[in-house]
Amino acid sequence: MVTALTGVTSDDVRAVLDTVPDPEMPPVSVAELGMVVDVRVNTDRVEVDLVPTYSGCPATAVIREETARAVKAMEGVGSVEVRFVNTVVWEPERITAPGRRKLAEFGIAPPGSGQTLLQIGRRPGLGADGMGEGVVCPLCGSHDTVADSPFGPTPCRSSSYCNACRNPFEVIKP
Amino acid sequence: MIDPRVELLLALADDDLIIGHRHSHWTGVAPHIEEDLAFSSISQDEIGHAVLWYRLAAEVAGEQGVRDLATRAPAGGDLSDSLGLGREPSGYRNAILVERPNRDWGYSLARHYLYDVAEGVRLTTLADSSWRALADATGALRREERYHLLHARAWLDRLANGPIDARTHLAGGLVAAMAEAPGLFEPLPGDAELAADGVLPADFATQQRRWLDIITADLEAVGMDHVLGGDPHHGEGEFLATASGELVAHDDTAAASGSRDGGLGGGGLGGRNGRHSSDFIEVWEEMTGTYRAYPGVRW
Repeated sequence: MVTALTGVTSDDVRAVLDTVPDPEMPPVSVAELGMVVDVRVNTDRVEVDLVPTYSGCPATAVIREETARAVKAMEGVGSVEVRFVNTVVWEPERITAPGRRKLAEFGIAPPGSGQTLLQIGRRPGLGADGMGEGVVCPLCGSHDTVADSPFGPTPCRSSSYCNACRNPFEVIKP
Repeated sequence: MIDPRVELLLALADDDLIIGHRHSHWTGVAPHIEEDLAFSSISQDEIGHAVLWYRLAAEVAGEQGVRDLATRAPAGGDLSDSLGLGREPSGYRNAILVERPNRDWGYSLARHYLYDVAEGVRLTTLADSSWRALADATGALRREERYHLLHARAWLDRLANGPIDARTHLAGGLVAAMAEAPGLFEPLPGDAELAADGVLPADFATQQRRWLDIITADLEAVGMDHVLGGDPHHGEGEFLATASGELVAHDDTAAASGSRDGGLGGGGLGGRNGRHSSDFIEVWEEMTGTYRAYPGVRW
């Protein structure tokens, strides 16, 4: 097979990282969350640099193990090193478009929640700016939401409340 | 002698670890569920930041260096755990302010506010460090700390503009915490060397002045600046200490913070040299209990 001859590429590895679920938001992968900083392949040796969403995130150990396991299972991979780096700062803008859609479907408002809801076919109520900007309720699409607390169930999420459907919901912290 | 960079990292890490541990004492018992979540989240952040500093300290110190610092550092164990949980109390470099019990809601919020402003000044300073690994680490931390300050300032405003009972508790908390806050800016062994190398771009006295400028502006804005002179009652009561640390503190600052331990010097000083109150022993015993019973245990 051609791939066996040419070996694993960093694109192959990135494709696999797109399937490694985040332990606390399983519909979304670590790649979709924008955690992948760099992938280096040297024949059968793979190095993956990740950035944690929040440095106090207790899920990092699990993410490291799951990532290493998934890459190690690839054909042609001999050894894997996964490390967390702080040479870049994680920001919600790193979340990919598919990642944002999956978060919205999961009930967590992603950055640019109004636009994302439009993309998944849930029309958001247009806000005062008429542009669908701001935090939009991922459950009913209303703009009539209030920030409840800058803190939530995980370090990367905050809590909001929807005045329209009267549900609390979570937001990826801006 | 301990590498001055390790001294600096231990001071940063120990402050974060101990304040994080004290904040976690609100988990389950905060006045309402949002605050339960807030203090638990802040606690998780602070302890996460401590781990980051301990990892960097372990890289600098090396395995033997960690063993020299920690009496419990089993072979094959995580070196950052050994630094965080394997030292004797006199090995900890945290300021005395952060080891005090939470007392009441007013004191907890006052300390949270004063500490997070100080941490902001500290991280902003270190962002310009000539030591790249240290400067890099401040990036994520500064982003995360914004939410701590947001939370602290919201409560400062709420209590200062609240009913008299809220103002009284806040004022009492601020006076007690301010009296020991100079300990956050206590010079470190070897900090002159760090300053000369550009690792520490501004000395602690400079950082303290920056901190006090921010605190003063904030407190003036909410009409609480009378506490800066150590006066919780606006014109009545006994003078304790100024926050600048320029005046000698009242002879028993420990009384102000509700401690049983009055044997320490004024201004909450001593922590950077490993001198702590009996409040620290209490929190150390609780925090390290599992690690002392099972050295090297993995979480």
